[in-house]
Amino acid sequence: MKELGDHIARATGAVPSIRLGELMLETTPDKVIALLAFLRDDPKCLFKQLCDVSGVDWPERPKRFDVVYNLLSLKNNQRVRVKLQTDEATPVPSAAGLFSAANWFERETYDLYGIWFSDHPDLRRILTDYGFEGHPLRKDFPLTGFVEMRWDDVQKRVIYEPVKLQQEFRRFDFLSPWEGSIQRMLPGDEKATEEGKSG
Amino acid sequence: MSDVEIKTLTMNFGPQHPAAHGVLRLVVEMDGEIVERCDPHIGLLHRGTEKLIEYKTYLQAVPYFDRLDYVSPMNQEHAFALAVEKLLGIQAPERAQYIRVLFSEITRILNHLLNVTTFAMDVGALTPPLWGFEQRELLMEYYEQVSGSRMHAAYFRPGGVHQDLPAGMLDSMEGWLKQFYPFLKDLEKLLNENRIFRMRTVDIGTVSAAQAIDWAFSGPMLRASGVPWDLRKAQPYDVYERMDFDIPVGKTGDCFARYLVRVEEMYQSARIMEQCVKALRTVGGPVLVDDRKVAPPRRGEMKGSMEALIHHFKLYTEGYKVPAGETYTVVEAPKGEFGVYLVSDGTNKPYRCKIRAPGFPHLQALDMMTRGHQLADMSANIGSLDIVFGEIDR
Amino acid sequence: MGVITPANTAPTADAALSRALNDELADKGFVVSQLDKLVTWARTGSMWGLTFGLACCGVEMIHAWMSRYDLDRFGFAPMPSPRSADVMIVAGTLCNKMAPALRKIYDQMAEPRYVISMGSCANGGGYYHYSYSVVRGCDRIVPVDVYVPGCPPTAEALVYGILQLQKKVRRQGTLVR
Repeated sequence: MKELGDHIARATGAVPSIRLGELMLETTPDKVIALLAFLRDDPKCLFKQLCDVSGVDWPERPKRFDVVYNLLSLKNNQRVRVKLQTDEATPVPSAAGLFSAANWFERETYDLYGIWFSDHPDLRRILTDYGFEGHPLRKDFPLTGFVEMRWDDVQKRVIYEPVKLQQEFRRFDFLSPWEGSIQRMLPGDEKATEEGKSG
Repeated sequence: MSDVEIKTLTMNFGPQHPAAHGVLRLVVEMDGEIVERCDPHIGLLHRGTEKLIEYKTYLQAVPYFDRLDYVSPMNQEHAFALAVEKLLGIQAPERAQYIRVLFSEITRILNHLLNVTTFAMDVGALTPPLWGFEQRELLMEYYEQVSGSRMHAAYFRPGGVHQDLPAGMLDSMEGWLKQFYPFLKDLEKLLNENRIFRMRTVDIGTVSAAQAIDWAFSGPMLRASGVPWDLRKAQPYDVYERMDFDIPVGKTGDCFARYLVRVEEMYQSARIMEQCVKALRTVGGPVLVDDRKVAPPRRGEMKGSMEALIHHFKLYTEGYKVPAGETYTVVEAPKGEFGVYLVSDGTNKPYRCKIRAPGFPHLQALDMMTRGHQLADMSANIGSLDIVFGEIDR
Repeated sequence: MGVITPANTAPTADAALSRALNDELADKGFVVSQLDKLVTWARTGSMWGLTFGLACCGVEMIHAWMSRYDLDRFGFAPMPSPRSADVMIVAGTLCNKMAPALRKIYDQMAEPRYVISMGSCANGGGYYHYSYSVVRGCDRIVPVDVYVPGCPPTAEALVYGILQLQKKVRRQGTLVR
C-alpha cells in the first residue's frame, strides 16, 4: 500500500498517509479532478468505482469543510480515500463528469453542508424539504431545526411555524473533569508537581 | 406537412403508490407510453439520522442503524460495529463472530425473501408474498428469541453481540433449514418458467458491466451484470473466510437475472447458516469482548463487584471513548455495499458518521435504466433495484 | 310463499347469532334491527385499510396482512387507493416533506374515515422526535382515532389496534361522523 501511495504522490502531488490500514490522499480543490482521473485510469490504480462522497464540518478551522471521496478498485481489490479542504465560498469542481455516480452524492453534500460544486449538471436540494433554508449537518445548525409543521384548520393547509418542543433534548455532558477534555488543575494539585520536581 | 410539436407528458408517480416501495416520488416525462426521462425525488423519509447520531454516544447510536434498511436490520448494525471496533482496535471474540455471520445470513434471507416476493407482487404474482412472509415470520421468531424484538434488534454491538443464543435455538434452526430448501424450490417452480413473469422481466432494465461499475452498483445488482464481486470473498470480515459458499453471477444484467441471483443467494445463505450452526455447537467462549472499558459486565457480576458496578455505570451513562481517527468500513449488505464513514475526535460521541447506503446510487441509475421502456416496466425496474427508503433518505 | 332459508349447520361459536337470524328469517321472513346497529355492523365488518406504509412499521403492517396474522379475515382488505378506503394506517416516520402529501391523501378519503397511527414515530415523532425534518406525530396533520405503540409494533399489536378501532366505531354508533 505504501508503494501505491508513493506512486500516486509522485504522479499527482497528493499527500499520502496510511492509518488503520487505510490509504488516504490529501489534495486541494484545483487538483482534485486530475487526481480522480489519474486514480481511475492509471494501470496501477484502476479505482473505477466511486463509492462515496461526503462532507465533514470542522467549524474551528478557517477552511471548515472537508470533502471526502472514497474509491474502490475492483481489479486490485484496493480502497483509497481522497480528502480536500474547502470553505463556504470556494466551489469544488464536480466529479460527475468522471464518475456518473457522483451526481447524487454531490447533490447530497451540497444540500447538507452548502459546499458548492461547479460544473455539476443538476445541483439542487435532494434530501431536505422543498423550501428548506439552511444546511442541516453544519455544526452551527441546531438539531431540532428552526421550523416545524402542522395542519392549520383556518388556512386549510399545512403550515410552517417556529419550533416549540414539549420537552427539551436532554444533553448529558458526561465527560468527567478527571478523564475528560477539561485540563483543570484541581485544588491541592499545585503542591504535587512541585514536590515531584524537588523530590 | 407542417411540423407537429410533440410535448412530453409529465406525470407524477406519487409518494403514495403501492409499487413505489415506500415513499418515492418520481416525476416521469413520457412520450405516450414510453418513458423519456424520470427524475426521482427522494428525501420524503429524511429523518436526520446522521445529525442525531452526532448527539448520541456510540452505544445509543446502534439502534439508528437498524432503522436504516429496515428489511435487513442486522447487516447495518454489523457495519457500525465493525467500524467502531476498528477505531477502538479490538476484535470481537470468535463465538460472537460466528453468531454475527449466522445472523447476517439470516438477515440476507429475510431481505431477499421480501424483495423477491414483493417484486413478484409488483409484476402480478400474488402467491409468493403469502408463502415468503411465513418464512420471514419464522426467521423473525429467531430475532425475537435472541434480542427481544422482531425487527429492530440492536443485537450487534461494538465488541461482539449483546447476549448469547438461548438453549435449543440451534436445533430449531436446523429444523427450519430442512424445510427451507423445498420452499425455495416451490417458489422457483412458481416463477422461473412462468411465461408472464419472464415476459415482464427478461430484457427489462438491462445494465452492462461497465455501466454498473460506473454508476457505483454493488451487491446483486453488480453481480447480475456479470461482475463477480462480493465483499464476503474479496475483503472478508468476521469469519467469512472460513465459510464455504459460492457467489452467483448473472449474465444478462436485466431484471430476470437479478431475480435469479437473489434466489440463488438465498440457497447460498442457507448453506452458510448450516456451517455456522454446526460451528456454534463446538465454539464456546464469551460473546462480548472482555475489555471492561468497552463492554459492560454481566448483570450478576455487576450486582456483586464494586468495580463491575462502576464499569456498568460509566459505560451506560458516559459511554466508551473512541480514539480519534477515521475509517470507512463496508459490509456486504443484501442490497449491496453498505459503508459507514466514521470520524471520531476522541470523545464519547461520534463526530461525523456518514452512511453510504447501497440503494442511493442504484436509485440514481433508475433514469438510465428506464429510458425507452414503458410505464409498467418502471415498477418492475423499481422492484428489482431493491430500494428501501430508510437507507436512501436516512 | 316466501323465501325458505335452509337449516343452519354452522359449527362455529358465532353460530348462535347466525342461527338466531336464520330462525327469525324462517319464522317471520324478515329481521328487525336498529338502523345504527346495522350500519355499525356493516362498517366494522368491512373496513378497508389504506396502506400508507412510510418506513419500518410498513413492513410489520405487511406482516399483519400475510398468512400468520391474517387481517383479511376481519374484512380488513388492503386498498391502495384512498378514494375507496375507510381507514388510513399511518405506519412510519412522517417527515416535513411528506406531510402535505399525507394531508392530501387524507382529504381524498370519503367519510366516514378513520386514522390509525402506528408506531412511535407516527404517534409522537418517536425515535426521531428531536430531528429537524420530522413532524412530531402525525396527529399534527390528521386527526387520529387509535394510536398503536411500539417500535415497530408487532403485527399482533396492529391487529389489536384494529380491533380497538372496531370497538370504537361500535361504541360511537353515529351515522354521520
